[in-house]
Amino acid sequence: MVRDLIKLGEIWKGSIKARLIAIVVLSQTLLAAGLLLTGIFYTHRRLLSTLDAGMQARAMSVAALVRYAEDASGNVYFDDTLMPSSLDPAHPDLFAVWTERSGLLTRSSSWPSGLDLPAAGRDHWNFKFAHVHYRGLRVFQVPVLDREEGKAFRPQSLTIVYAAPMHQLDEQVQQAGISIALSSLLLLGATVLLALWGIRRGLLPLQELAAQAGLVSTHNWELHLPDDAQQIKELRPLTQSMTTMLERLHHSFDQQREFMGNAAHELKTPVAVLKSTLQSLLQRPRASEEYRAGLEHSLEDLERLEQLLQWMLRLARAEQWAHGALRRDLQVIDITATCEEAVERIRHLAESRNATVHLSKNGPVLFRADPEDLQLVWINLLENAVRYGPEGGSVEVAVIRENAGPARIVFEDHGAGIALADLPHVFERFYRGDPSRTRSTGGFGLGLAIAKALVEAYGGTIAAESAAGKGTRMTVELPTGRESM
Amino acid sequence: MRVLVIEDEPRLADNIARSLRESAGYAVDIAHDGQEGLFLAESSEYDVVLLDLMLPQMDGMQLLRRVRQGGQRTPVLVVTARDDKESVVALLNAGADDYLTKPFDLGELLARTKALIRRGKGQPSPVLSVGDLELNTVNRSVQRGGRPISLTAMEYRVLEYLAHRPRAVVSKTELLEHLYDYNWEKFSNVIEVYISGLRRKLDDGSARQLIHTLRGQGYILQDGQP
Repeated sequence: MVRDLIKLGEIWKGSIKARLIAIVVLSQTLLAAGLLLTGIFYTHRRLLSTLDAGMQARAMSVAALVRYAEDASGNVYFDDTLMPSSLDPAHPDLFAVWTERSGLLTRSSSWPSGLDLPAAGRDHWNFKFAHVHYRGLRVFQVPVLDREEGKAFRPQSLTIVYAAPMHQLDEQVQQAGISIALSSLLLLGATVLLALWGIRRGLLPLQELAAQAGLVSTHNWELHLPDDAQQIKELRPLTQSMTTMLERLHHSFDQQREFMGNAAHELKTPVAVLKSTLQSLLQRPRASEEYRAGLEHSLEDLERLEQLLQWMLRLARAEQWAHGALRRDLQVIDITATCEEAVERIRHLAESRNATVHLSKNGPVLFRADPEDLQLVWINLLENAVRYGPEGGSVEVAVIRENAGPARIVFEDHGAGIALADLPHVFERFYRGDPSRTRSTGGFGLGLAIAKALVEAYGGTIAAESAAGKGTRMTVELPTGRESM
Repeated sequence: MRVLVIEDEPRLADNIARSLRESAGYAVDIAHDGQEGLFLAESSEYDVVLLDLMLPQMDGMQLLRRVRQGGQRTPVLVVTARDDKESVVALLNAGADDYLTKPFDLGELLARTKALIRRGKGQPSPVLSVGDLELNTVNRSVQRGGRPISLTAMEYRVLEYLAHRPRAVVSKTELLEHLYDYNWEKFSNVIEVYISGLRRKLDDGSARQLIHTLRGQGYILQDGQP
């Protein structure tokens, strides 16, 4: 029993259809029960009032059988020759008549001994006699109907008690109840069938949607929303969130694939160099100096390859952060201080190109971040500015914070600038405006991509402006003002 | 044979050049960007061009189109990091003769280069024969009438070039251009030395002369008098 209940509970929990059907059945049952109760109550009352009216009439007919004696005494007698027989001989009606003057006048032969009459004031009451329910009626002050004009005596009044069995009424009420219950049951069955059909039809768009969603894969990102599913108001939040979820997934999947493709492509050339060096070394016997030189070259190439891998990992991690991966190691730091540190770290490179880096500060600007990340961004931007600026040129760095606005960190060089066609692409990974230039300067085309991903990981933006021949300005904006959190 | 390698990664270019020089005995010129490559390809005679696609100044595809538009028929072997079908098809349609994806095998690069040179000169087989002379370009061996002949590296290179173009008149300048890199003018007098050395070794003990000199025109490799 308990197990059955648990099973029912599971079905209830596990199926919308079961839930809806249960609700339909429950409400129908309540309705049927209400209908049944009202029906029985109403039928009972109607029948009872009919019975009461009938009994009243019969009591009056009993009263009509009370006659005055032919003398002038004013005594009465009961003329039972005219008494109609009971409807149900097995359970005859009961009656008794009392006169004012002499008490009990007559009573029916079946009058039960010791029948308790109710106290004065109640005219109707129910009692049980010979295993049958009876209803009793007591009428006071009934005048003797047999009256002749001109008699000298004062007319008498009677008290009449009349009782009739109620089993017919009970049966009728029972029949009415059964017919109401049966028709309710039939209706319930019909409703359940209708509800099942309706629910199945109602859930059909959901099934179609599921079938369509099942067709989506990494090779087919297109989700064809069935018209039904689009039109149904209740499904709209689902279809909308499915569409946006798919778009996001598709986007990040494409990004990953593109990154893999880019990475594989970028790794091919250094691997080709390494392989060709070793193969040409093995093509014929060589002097030990030649082997040594070849091995040294290979080692250099390997180191470069290792560096490329490190940069790619750094980018992958930064992009992961930019896509909302959780970070716990953040502390409130001063942006200006990280800039100073970055300028210090770039000093060696700047000196080798006779370039000067000038940092203009406006006091500490607080921000919640990992200082290493920010320094990496600044170093990447500084390296670009120093490398692509002219020999002996200058680079200006400014940390600006106006009122409650975001912190702006601006890097400006006075080099050749970025070609207009390259400008929209400078933050793309592995993008090199001019391959020859980066090859000679040792870049991988990842620095700006990493900078962008890191800045975005902190909810900031990065933008490049450039004028040919005048220089390049990189502006980073970081949303400061949430440091107290 | 003379090969032009257009590759911007200096070490890769050096490795390819070294391998071509050492294993095939070819003269090799190197260009490190597209513009230099185009200039060399248009101004000199090459037997094959090895071309990288990602190049500074001018990308490989553009260079290839320019070379073909200029009517150059030199075979071009493209060395590329991209191996998707679309770019391979685009390459071949732009006039490339063959392609190799990075990272490649140096042996395969050599074999494909040799094959392109042969086919560029109408010789399908790696073993070239003129009369009873047989020249194997794979292991660089020569025999006449079944008798192995040992040649110096330069003698072999001269003979190999002549054997790729049998019965055709090959001028001294053409020989020089195809056997040396861009410094070939310095070597203008050495061809006679190699030719006479070759004649001595090939025709030694044989009634029929194979290398003939046409005064003022050049040399012909063929069985019998021209």
